[in-house]
Amino acid sequence: MSASTTHNPGHRRTWLQIAIYGAVCLTIFLVPTILDNDFLLNKYSRYLVFGILAIALSLSWGYCGILNLGQAASFGLGCYCMAMALKLRTVPVHTGDDGLPDFMVWNNVTELPWFWVPFHSLPFALFAGIAVPTVLAALVGWFMFRARITGVYVAIITLASLVVVNLLIIDQQRYTGGFNGITDLAQLELFGLTFDAYSRNSYYLVASVLAACLFAALAITKSKTGLILQAIRDHEDRVRYFGYDVAHYKIFAFSASAAIAGIAGMLYTIVMEFASPTFLDVPLSLSVVIWCAVGGRQSLLGAALGAIVVTGTQGALSDSGIFLQSWTLLMGMIFVASVLFLPKGLAGLAELAGERLRRLGRDTPPPVKTDVLGPVREGEGLA
Amino acid sequence: MDFVLQQLFTGLSIGSILLLVALGLWIVYGTMGVINLAHGEFVMLGAYTAWVLQSVFQVGLFASLVVIFFVVAFLGWIMERGVIRYLYRRPLDTILATWGLGVITQQVVRLLAGGELRYVEMPSLLAHSTTILGVELSVYRIFIFVVVAGLLALTWYLMQRTAIGMKLRAVLQDREVASCFGINADRIYALTFAYGAGLAGLAGALVSPLKSVSPEMGTTYVVDAFMVVVLGGVETLMGTVLSAFLLGELTGFIAYLQNDTVAKALVLVAIIVLIRFRPQGLFASQVRA
Amino acid sequence: MTGYLALDEVSVSFDGFRAVDGLSFSVEEGELRCLIGPNGAGKSTALDMICGKVRPTAGTIFLQGRALNRLEEHEIARAGIGRKFQVPSVFRELTVRQNLDVAHSRQVGVWANIARFGHHADRDGLEKLAELVGLEDRLEVPAGHLSHGQTQWLEIAMLVAQDPRVILMDEPTAGMTVQETRKTADLFNRLKGKHTLIVVEHDMGFIKEIGDVISVMHQGRLLAEGSVGEIEQHAEVRAAYLGSGGISGA
Repeated sequence: MSASTTHNPGHRRTWLQIAIYGAVCLTIFLVPTILDNDFLLNKYSRYLVFGILAIALSLSWGYCGILNLGQAASFGLGCYCMAMALKLRTVPVHTGDDGLPDFMVWNNVTELPWFWVPFHSLPFALFAGIAVPTVLAALVGWFMFRARITGVYVAIITLASLVVVNLLIIDQQRYTGGFNGITDLAQLELFGLTFDAYSRNSYYLVASVLAACLFAALAITKSKTGLILQAIRDHEDRVRYFGYDVAHYKIFAFSASAAIAGIAGMLYTIVMEFASPTFLDVPLSLSVVIWCAVGGRQSLLGAALGAIVVTGTQGALSDSGIFLQSWTLLMGMIFVASVLFLPKGLAGLAELAGERLRRLGRDTPPPVKTDVLGPVREGEGLA
Repeated sequence: MDFVLQQLFTGLSIGSILLLVALGLWIVYGTMGVINLAHGEFVMLGAYTAWVLQSVFQVGLFASLVVIFFVVAFLGWIMERGVIRYLYRRPLDTILATWGLGVITQQVVRLLAGGELRYVEMPSLLAHSTTILGVELSVYRIFIFVVVAGLLALTWYLMQRTAIGMKLRAVLQDREVASCFGINADRIYALTFAYGAGLAGLAGALVSPLKSVSPEMGTTYVVDAFMVVVLGGVETLMGTVLSAFLLGELTGFIAYLQNDTVAKALVLVAIIVLIRFRPQGLFASQVRA
Repeated sequence: MTGYLALDEVSVSFDGFRAVDGLSFSVEEGELRCLIGPNGAGKSTALDMICGKVRPTAGTIFLQGRALNRLEEHEIARAGIGRKFQVPSVFRELTVRQNLDVAHSRQVGVWANIARFGHHADRDGLEKLAELVGLEDRLEVPAGHLSHGQTQWLEIAMLVAQDPRVILMDEPTAGMTVQETRKTADLFNRLKGKHTLIVVEHDMGFIKEIGDVISVMHQGRLLAEGSVGEIEQHAEVRAAYLGSGGISGA
């Protein structure tokens, strides 16, 4: 038996990965212990939410080659589901307990629309925040991937779908608050805890969900399903001839990604304390692509860190116009360079550096077998 | 009746500008498989060049046109040599890289010229209106229409009747074989790209008196022009022309509607469905195996 | 139509050109059938139609009496047909081990595979298989880094891992050295019986080592069928090949 059974580098790599992922999550959890500033914690929670959004895109784009330019649609629908639930928990100024949300009153709506009613239940809202984006993505995915739409056309269709959702939300001002979005929300109360946007509770909530999403996505990519997704990214047609239904796998990756984006959206409403059409607009959707490309789309952690670092720097520089402009310029350049020469982003660079270090630590290079074919032994059964 | 004609002319006017922007996009996409999302930035650069020539050098729009074409074509040439040429036959990456280039270009312009709106004056000769078929029309819009028709004819002539057009078509069919016959494919690509950029620059210059000039102005144009190319298909020039005017009329009609948000959404849904069922475009004659 | 795998008057045309024109032949279970013919005879297209890559415009393809040509590619693969392509088609970004793992497709569903991680019991089999084709030291190497010959072997090993009832091989020895070709012949002789094979080849030496019955295609039709000896003496076959440079040069 070959030596690799007992000493499989693939498994060692997986454990190393789990260790690094765990260390990063731990670091994120430790931030509040050294930082006693609720305002900054709120800012950091926002960046972490974007990290979750980047994980979602990495799963579909990095692992399955589906360039989803409409990721913000799933995110925004999650935002609105949470906002609707929290809006119904505030006491309206004009109509009192159990009354209509204020913007509906301003728009002469007299009765709570039917699709708002179930959002009185918080569990339903939490369910909807995941289910609505997932089902929508599954439908769009079914529509595209059954017809074997690939590459550029997927990018166009997802982008156009996003714009459609965005236009409809803005247009239906009576039910969605239009341009202004849904504001003046109650605080989320769950398991006896109150999640004030400017509190440690919210930060820990976001950090825990980030860790959960990171490891859930890692589990998917490490499963055989994840392997087949990567095979599809590499050579879609070949996968079919092994009996896999490529459309099923792509719909799965697309919807799973939407579910994670929906979760991120719900968290974003909690830390921002409102929902707005800008949470599902084109610029945000394209930003997610930048974060993933810079951080490394083929690494879940790379994508998440890419989002956190890029938005973090942006936030730090936002006070100064000229710095922010130059930063955007620099970001554009790094982005173009990473598309051209660094398809694995900064995570790819880190991996390369790690490889180098490991090779330096070893004295002799591994023996390379020159015999191309090796012996075909008689009597050995075929697998 | 007058009203219908008025609408029709508005659509033609929108369509002709759309066509000028889409023409360059179509050439580059149809010939090199590059979806150039930075194409809108050439429109913007053309408009800014017009503004610089007018406000700094006191040159009128008429006299500027040729200069603008070459300035923007040169910028396009630089972009092709610097970035785009690494992206041939990687369509998905071209979307991202060219969009990144667009962001960079916008930022550079914003840093150099400032983010505020700029205005370009209409040539006084054309700044009045005339009446055709009982409909009052801006002479300047008619001028744009004529220029676009001329450029369209020129493009067709360049592609079909000149040595360089023939070489381009040869490179398109088979780059390797064309190279064996001594055609410098790199040079052909660079020139084609520059030509497309120059056309977009002209479009920007021509619309600059009608609209304000800003670093973001290219974005809407590239989206609409891209729709034109998707709708028209990459196979024929005629498809692009037809779809430009179809979308122009449609845009004019939507602008007239009470609820244009829903109309816009419907147009997008129609385009999604079109891509799903006819990815080769509405006017393509054949389906490639 | 009788036979394990049977083509019944199958035709396909591209833009009016009939690449395959009323092709009929059948293969028995466990047989190794060689398919030869001059360039452009429609051999690869015939394989394309069996595996679903190309849909026939007329005629029917049966596997054990079940019509295949209304099925999608993955359904045909599940019905028991595996294909090795003329240009070796492997997953270049994945490692050799991952390639074999993808090919090993007992479970094809998304949900069936989501809870399956690297530790399943079939792993030993895949490593034995890599050993069989001399790739046991290259298991962790991305397939894109393999030499041409190794890539050919990897794809053959992937088909063995897939373990389909019918294996379609399109020019498996192209680009291989004489020794490599001989080893391939050994392997094929061992696959014969357990699997039904259709092998498209040009190398007559290789065909002599593995083939029992040879089908000759010419201009989209079946020209002749018989043993190696019969085919070599067949007047029409000789004429067809001489038209394009002789039987050895094709």
